[in-house]
Parts: sequence; C-alpha cells; structure tokens
Amino acid sequence: MGVPTVPVITRSFEELVKSIAFKKGIPGMRIVFTPHPVTDRTPEVCRKYILGRDPVSGRPMLDVILDGLTRPPAAEDRRAGPIARPARPRLLEPMAEDELQKYFLDNGYTDGFPVVPPTERRVAEMLKGTSREPGEIVGRMRPSDPHEAWEYTVEMVAANAVMAGAKPEQFPAILAIASTGVTSLFSSTSSFARMAVFNGPIVGEIGMNAGIGAMGPFNHANAAIGRAWTLISRNLGGSGKPGETYLGSQGTPLNYSNICFPEAEAALPPGWNPLHVQKGFKPSDSVVSLFSGWSLNNVAWFSPMPIHEVIRGWLEHFFSTSVSQATLILDPIVAGDIAAAGFGSKEAYIDYLAKNTGTPSWLYWQTRQNELEKAKEGVEPFAGYLRLGDAGVVPVPRFGRGRGGRSAIEVVVTGGSTNAYWFGGDFSHLTSVAVDPWR
Amino acid sequence: MKIRIVCILLAALVSAGLTLDLSRAEGEARIAVLNPQGILPPIERIPMAPRAESLEGKTIYVVDTKFPRTRAFVETLHRVLQETYPKTVWVLRDKLGNYQVDDPNLWKEIREKGHGVIMGIGH
Repeated sequence: MGVPTVPVITRSFEELVKSIAFKKGIPGMRIVFTPHPVTDRTPEVCRKYILGRDPVSGRPMLDVILDGLTRPPAAEDRRAGPIARPARPRLLEPMAEDELQKYFLDNGYTDGFPVVPPTERRVAEMLKGTSREPGEIVGRMRPSDPHEAWEYTVEMVAANAVMAGAKPEQFPAILAIASTGVTSLFSSTSSFARMAVFNGPIVGEIGMNAGIGAMGPFNHANAAIGRAWTLISRNLGGSGKPGETYLGSQGTPLNYSNICFPEAEAALPPGWNPLHVQKGFKPSDSVVSLFSGWSLNNVAWFSPMPIHEVIRGWLEHFFSTSVSQATLILDPIVAGDIAAAGFGSKEAYIDYLAKNTGTPSWLYWQTRQNELEKAKEGVEPFAGYLRLGDAGVVPVPRFGRGRGGRSAIEVVVTGGSTNAYWFGGDFSHLTSVAVDPWR
Repeated sequence: MKIRIVCILLAALVSAGLTLDLSRAEGEARIAVLNPQGILPPIERIPMAPRAESLEGKTIYVVDTKFPRTRAFVETLHRVLQETYPKTVWVLRDKLGNYQVDDPNLWKEIREKGHGVIMGIGH
C-alpha cells in the first residue's frame, strides 16, 4: 500500500491471515482482531466489540489500532529481500514404518488413513506408467486465490499416487488431474466437494467401474485415483490445513476420495454424446472432466408424471449452497426413459430444462434486492411477480448460461441399471483435459 | 550321542533364526521414502511503511471491503474513531465492487492524500 496499514480481521481467521501475511512478504503486519462473526451484528454489538479487547492480544482494540498505525516497524520489517523457507529434501530420514505412518499423519500428509509408504522402489515402479521425465514440472496448485501456489514434478505426483495405493497403469489419469492445478480441497468457509468423470478408452484399459455401485467404494481405479487427487491437493497444492489453508466450517466426507467414476458410455441412449465429446474431444480420446460443487440428492420418485418432468420439478425447487448451477447424474434406465420421451440428445434435454424451469418466488426474491424494491414501488414486471405470492413460480429461467458461456446444467450417465435412480446436485463443470499426453 | 548332537544343532539353528528374525525386524523397519510435498515458491519481503509518531492532524482512511452484511461494523468503527480521536481526520470509503475486486484508484488516492488506512472486514 505504501502507507501504514492495519487490517481488522475476525478472530476465527487468525491463523489464516498471519500465514497469508507471511507468504505475501509482510510477516510483521500489524493485524487487529475482533470477535467472530461480525456479519449481521447490530451497531450496539459492534460498538461493544470495538470498545472491547482484541481477543488475540488481549489489549483494548483501539490501542491495537493506534499502535499498528504509529509504532515504528522493526529493523527486519523495514528491509526488502528474500525470506528463508524450510528445505524440502527429496528423501525423508529413514524411519520405522509405524513411525513413518505417525509422521505422515502428524504432518498432514494423509487423509487420516494409513498410506502406502512411497519408497524409491515403489515410486520408480509408478513412474513406469508414464513416458514423462521424473523431474518434469506437471503444474501449480493453490488452496484458493489468496494463497501461494506450489509447483510439483512427475516424481512428486508419483509419490502421492503410491501413497494412495494407485497402480502404474492408473498414473496417467492421476497426472492429468494434477496437470489442471485444480485442488480437491478448495478453501472457503463453505465445504466444497469435487468430482472427476472419466471418458474414453482409458476407462476400460484400467478397469474403472461405470456399472453397479459406480460412485461407491467398490472399484480400485475409481477409489485410488480419487484418493490420489486429495493427497496431491494436500501435499503438492498446499491445501487442507484446517484454519490456515482449509476453512470449510463443517467439511465434507466427499473430500476423502472425491466423486470419481467413469461415464457409462456403452449405456448411453442413441444420439446421446459422451461428456468428453460434448466438451470438444474425439470419442477415441481419453479424458477426465472435473466438477466443483457441494452436495448431491439421490432420487427415485415414482410418480404418475414422466421422469423428465419429475427432474424438471426437482430442478426448479432444489435448494443448496449454489442455486443457479446443477449437474444430473442419471442411471442408464433414467437416461433411456428421457430419450424415449423424445429427447434425442443430452443437449436437447438440457435446453428443455433451461427453458422450462422457472424460479420459485421465495428464491427469486432472496437473490434480487433491487427488483424487490422496484416491485414494492409497483414497477412491472416485478410487481406482477410479487403478486404471485410465496408459493408462485416466477417466469424467469433459473438456469441460463454458466461461466464462460457454458451451460449451467450438465448431464452425465453412470450406474448399473438396477433401478431408475438419479442424482442431482449443485456441481458445475470446471475443465476437461486429455489423459493421453500423460501416458 | 547322535541324537544329542542333532538336538544341539537344531537348538543352535532355532536360536540363530530367532536372532536373525529380530535383527531383520529392526533393520527392515527403517525405510527411506520420498518427501511427498511440493516445491515452495520464494517469498520476497515487502518493507513496511514508516510510521508517524502521532495521528494528530493526520488523515486516516477506513475502507469498507464490502463483505456482505458487515456494513454496521465498519460504520461503527468509523464513528467510534471520530468520537475517540477527534484531532485525526477519519475518512470512510467503500472499495470498488465486492470484496474480491481490486481498487487501484482508491489505493492511489490513499497514498496521495492519506497517512494510513484501516481495512475491514469479512465474516
């Protein structure tokens, strides 16, 4: 900034803000803390906080503010130049396996479960799964925008793949995910989850499961690739340290091995393209598509209405952390029923949903303060929307185009056709990348 | 005699085997593994701005970063500072856009007209 600066931060973010200040090159930053939270507090409560004590230093908050703006910086805080960082040798000191498991757990290298020790022999075996050089840089990853990004090599990804219990033939799929730089442990006070959907020949080559229990813990490739993503996010992307690089208030069990499964391409109805073809790849390409969201509902609503209408109704009214993006994961039976109802492609059904899904009144007014004020002044069409009442549906499409002009609704097909189930949730497509360059 | 020799040999072998097992358990237990962590980026220290001895007669900005539903806190902070330190000019300003948007014009103004800044607040 160039002038004395004092940020005021709530108590819950002490570890985060001190870490960020250090990584941005201002370890001596003067930070003032207030009780948490301050959102929706009355002016009277805020005044009490401000005239009270900084909950971290224990000193009166106003004294801490003045001190931050007037006390001369220490000599080292007035200097420029590099800050020394701890060395990270390629090999750790040898230790007994029990000690190693405890060391990895205590240092946050795991997902809470034991890992396969990444010995040189095992890592060398994993490296046989790719033609890439061990020292090649694969990518950079960070927990979220304000954080620093770490770099990582092919060998480092291999070490984490070993830890996850993966096999060399699965390594190109893991490298492809790592190359995106997308962390599976995104840091936000909400608890993000991630999803990885595979398409193309790689699915059969490494024996992924798109049949019964595709999204469950029943297949080694699905499980190990998903687990590797989380270990990579922690160890190579600097994510997942609660309070510092992970702030999800409740966390999510989906982060253990993410939602990792292939699309059931052989079971797609005629005319329905696989996901990777929808994203511009050839059918013969092996591709992984990454999604971000929070939660999924699992539904089989046996209704007199056709299933494509049941899904439309669910989409209109579902409520989650994000309310304007959605992904449907359909069992092949459901996809077949929708196709039989006249939807010859995923895109045709998505367009139908986008055009015929209005916005429930309660949701419309929650997200449109300006329109609500106009409605109360009698301005049309908002006044008319308000007359619909709380139970009405405002004729404004709930789902339009998503980020970058992409559809805000995605459709994926997987499952074993044991019944007409489907998942719906608030996931959105982030990116699709080819696996083949990492073979 | 032969039986005794065989027994002694067997006992020796068993004993040797046990010793071997124990030493192998200790030796094998120490394994070297690769460091699973990525490469840390360098950090360049940013020198902190010099401070004035007193804020009397100085202009200090109080910037609302526009985190949702925290306006009451920033306004109250500005009011309390005005009441408590009336010899300082406290300027309340909104940052451009939401809390994720940069505002280089405001930072420039603060550098040109201000002697310090208080930034708040989230959550």
